[in-house]
Amino acid sequence: MANQTTETVRLMIDGISISVPKGTLVIEAARQAGVMIPHFCYHPKLKPDANCRMCLVEIERVRKLQTSCSTVATEGMAVRTATTVVNDAHKSVLEFILANHPLDCPVCDQGGRCDLQDFSHQYTATSRFAETKRIFQKEYFSPLIETQMNRCVQCLRCVRYCDEVMDVKALAPIGRGTMTEIKSFGNHPLDCEFCGGCVQICPVGAITSRLSMYEYRPWMLKRADTICTFCGDGCQITVQTKDQELIEVNSAHSGGRNNGDLCARGYFGFHAASHPDRVTHPLIRRNGTLVEATWEEALLFVAEQTNRIKQAHGPQAFGGLISGRCTNEELYLFQKFMRLTIGTNNLDSSARYGHVNGVQAMRRVQGTHRWTVTFEDIVQADVLLLVGTNITEANPITGLKVKEAVKKQEATLLTIEALQPAVGTISNITNLSKQHLCVAPSQFGAAVLGLLKAVIEGDHVDPGIRQRASDYVSALSHAVRQIAWEDLAVSTGISSDSFAQMAASVVRGRRVVVLAGQILLRSQGGYGMCLNLLDLLLLSGKLTSPGCGFAPLAEENNDQGAVEMGAVAELLPGALDLTDQDSRDRMARAWKEELPLVPGGTLIEMVDRASAGIIKSLFVVGENPVGSLPSQIRAKEALSKLDLLVCQELFLTETAALAHVVLPAASAMEKAGTFTNTEGHAQAVRPAIDPVGDSRPDWEILSAFSVFLGAPLEYGEAKEILKEIRSVIPGYGSLGPSPIAPTADPSAIDRYVTEGYRHDVAIRYTLPPRAVRQEGTVQLGLVQSLFHSGKFSTHSKGLLQIEPSAFLQMNPVDAARFALGSGDRVRLSNNRGQFITTVKVLERVPEGLAWLPDHFAQEALRLFDCVIDPDTKVPSFRTATVSVLKAT
Amino acid sequence: MTFKAWIRTITFYELVVGMKATMSHLLHYKPITMQYPHEKRALPDNYRGMLSLLRYDDGTEKCVGCDLCEAACPSRVIRVVSAEVPGEPTKRYSKEYYMDMTRCLFCGLCVDACPVDALGMTREYEWSVYDKRQLHLNKEQLLAIGDRSFPVREKQLELQHPNVAFFNVAFKHLPQKPD
Ligand code: SF4
Ligand code: SF4
Ligand code: SF4
Ligand code: SF4
Ligand code: SF4
Ligand code: FES
Repeated sequence: MANQTTETVRLMIDGISISVPKGTLVIEAARQAGVMIPHFCYHPKLKPDANCRMCLVEIERVRKLQTSCSTVATEGMAVRTATTVVNDAHKSVLEFILANHPLDCPVCDQGGRCDLQDFSHQYTATSRFAETKRIFQKEYFSPLIETQMNRCVQCLRCVRYCDEVMDVKALAPIGRGTMTEIKSFGNHPLDCEFCGGCVQICPVGAITSRLSMYEYRPWMLKRADTICTFCGDGCQITVQTKDQELIEVNSAHSGGRNNGDLCARGYFGFHAASHPDRVTHPLIRRNGTLVEATWEEALLFVAEQTNRIKQAHGPQAFGGLISGRCTNEELYLFQKFMRLTIGTNNLDSSARYGHVNGVQAMRRVQGTHRWTVTFEDIVQADVLLLVGTNITEANPITGLKVKEAVKKQEATLLTIEALQPAVGTISNITNLSKQHLCVAPSQFGAAVLGLLKAVIEGDHVDPGIRQRASDYVSALSHAVRQIAWEDLAVSTGISSDSFAQMAASVVRGRRVVVLAGQILLRSQGGYGMCLNLLDLLLLSGKLTSPGCGFAPLAEENNDQGAVEMGAVAELLPGALDLTDQDSRDRMARAWKEELPLVPGGTLIEMVDRASAGIIKSLFVVGENPVGSLPSQIRAKEALSKLDLLVCQELFLTETAALAHVVLPAASAMEKAGTFTNTEGHAQAVRPAIDPVGDSRPDWEILSAFSVFLGAPLEYGEAKEILKEIRSVIPGYGSLGPSPIAPTADPSAIDRYVTEGYRHDVAIRYTLPPRAVRQEGTVQLGLVQSLFHSGKFSTHSKGLLQIEPSAFLQMNPVDAARFALGSGDRVRLSNNRGQFITTVKVLERVPEGLAWLPDHFAQEALRLFDCVIDPDTKVPSFRTATVSVLKAT
Repeated sequence: MTFKAWIRTITFYELVVGMKATMSHLLHYKPITMQYPHEKRALPDNYRGMLSLLRYDDGTEKCVGCDLCEAACPSRVIRVVSAEVPGEPTKRYSKEYYMDMTRCLFCGLCVDACPVDALGMTREYEWSVYDKRQLHLNKEQLLAIGDRSFPVREKQLELQHPNVAFFNVAFKHLPQKPD
């Protein structure tokens, strides 16, 4: 728990009187007073280390100079930062640093934005030392990060960042005195999370990015503050460009929801947009091959075909798919285009792959479509329950918030995950957990039930809810009683005591946040598990308490936006129900046109209808069903049957390769708009470069279509669409520094506890089937990798250097069982097919499981079964049982 | 008008005074027009002529691609495209270097800015061309000018030179990324 204090102290800094909260460091107080005290080792994110002595100041009634970065401001303190004594001290510190500094500013990538340069300039410091400078032997450091230790000022910010913030501990100071050198742990090149944090935090040019090395000087760069396009955390990034060339990405400290921290995808993944394989011209299929065409030809062709199909088969012969990587404006316009211009509700987005499960559960239980908590609540939580998320890899920045809560605020972390605590090259969240239940993904549901059973049977049910909704409580009590502890123990391998202990921790917490990750959301029964987790919060009386809530984590950057913009079949903008007459009327009034009545088909339904010949034409915006769905769905066959397949794409994906028309779309680096992150915060996206080739933003393409189809949806710029969104969803996207989380709607909760819970309790409260694992097989799971996000990141040259291809992660015991070692080729097969890949032995994988990163898994998808959720229609294809054989 | 002034006016006295200087020059001075291009003037030592890029004694280019000349130039003559030296990790050089001499005002600021003395102002001035695009020079051309104008080259810095601001040192034995 944060000890937030409102007590303040008043002090004088260089004659300026200022009052600051108690506990503020002098250097921070000075900054607030507008006085910059030079410093190297101090950084607001890190614990004071006071090793560089650059920040010395004079404090009245204190005999010696004090380091302002480690001195806490006290009442009545008088600080002087610019006296002769202080200046001399600063100068001599600089002199000692310069004694060994190579002064290679002209070739240093930091030159022009370097603290040492600035301070030397400020104090006109030169070094009187005439001795030989130290020279470190240069060694190969890593593919993406370069060190130049001759330049190091030994402030240890990098080491402390990697340890305190990232919890990776990849760097270490080696040697003593001036010969201290920063190296990666172990006798090998740096192998870490590649978050780029050490590059950003180094005050000099001792650690630099290899990706754009020597290609620029800081003063040449043009900056654009925008939002990362990979995961749902929605980090703010500053993209720096030089003449339309993407040079580097960083993130301002105290900027955005990420507070300046990034992950490898955000920091090193930006080159995906400028990949040479981008589609730069419209393509039309002529005589079986895609040939270049002009925009007019392409749009005209699509318009003619669309009109023909519409006349012959009506609007229900159309369908639309859009990617959750598009902006809110595009998602909104897309659903408006499908619903009004075409006249069908057959539309879906990539939120269907899992995020819909979380959102629908929240809508049903608490009446919101967003989290009732924010990142700040995660940091301030005293109990955090993580279910089904390797958060470090899936949502790294939310992961940092969890780490901050645990490491700085001493929150209790409880985890239910397949991950095993182990020391590895990237941080492992279960290492920090107070109690970790290691459960196979197929049994997450059982673990959640175990927890519920422990809450109910341990008599932890909140008296309020017991009184208010006795039926609900007794129904659930009855349901959990049907489940025997023995069965639970067999399913999960966890004893009733452990469940009881975890339940007690949850109940004891005052600010409890439950984070549900993609592994849970995307697995079979994900919707039910979300509901059960919400039940858990309800029963323990936490659902409506401030700082408590349920937080499903979005995988794609704008999955949340896709749902809120109504880019799914069953929802209208504002996540209103399509079947609800009031909502329909509201939208019809806003759009001045009636909405189509026929309920729309979702992703899988559309594919099925296409293969049945009911859907004749599909508009696909940045989505790739052929590449992402398991072969069992037969998306390729279905889409080949279409009369008209239009793809707006960056790259010629598997789906685009089947298209009749491919239109070049602009990436997020090239357009304006907004993204809504996983906590429901809408943030501005700004263009960093001009659209590549002939590509145009998706909303422009859709707008042009509508004009050609004779029902114009015309907008001059993305802002006009946002204005319309605001008129439909009042106050959408406050664009402020932090989101205002909605509160759970009491009437929705009432509805849920009286009637809403009833119809599926029996189904939700049964143990998931137990798979009997045969000898020679493992449970294969698709997981998210830290270094990639979807297929998009596989076009980024930086990320490909860290992780160039698919590999199978396996536990050492299993590997030994199959006589495999890291780097061996292995053949995975089941009755559906086979797949050959390379093995990587990792201790964090539990025995009996094997993981495959999902962005390279195209080929492997044929091994997976696909189960469709009956309520939310989410296709789940995350696990498969395969036999393992060493391939030669 | 005084009598004296009247006499001066009627005798064209001012004219005579003026012509005196002319006459004396006519008799005493030799012609000063030079028969360029047959004759050429001796240039002063600090003459600022055509720019050039220089090399060290071992033939390596001095330029480290730091872009400082580009930043210093008031008329945007210079464009540097810097990069890592192929095969010599962590060493910087200018992959491409252009000077648009049509715009140069021969101020010499670029020469001053260069931290490694890679630029030199030669004593060449005969650079009139029929097509001004020929004055857009690339790195090879500028190095060639340097080669012919500065035959005596500076010695390449030693890596372990005591207390010298050393930089841009190649790490020839740097282990490459293991495959
Ligand atoms: S990139 Fe990040 S994880 Fe890797 S060493 Fe630097 S701070 Fe640590
Ligand atoms: S590498 Fe940079 S951040 Fe790390 S100790 Fe040296 S100067 Fe400080
Ligand atoms: S991928 Fe996610 S965590 Fe990483 S920088 Fe982008 S938004 Fe942030
Ligand atoms: S001499 Fe002056 S004008 Fe000419 S290139 Fe150099 S800095 Fe520019
Ligand atoms: S200043 Fe000198 S070293 Fe730097 S780019 Fe110009 S010529 Fe090259
Ligand atoms: S900043 Fe205070 S000692 Fe380094």
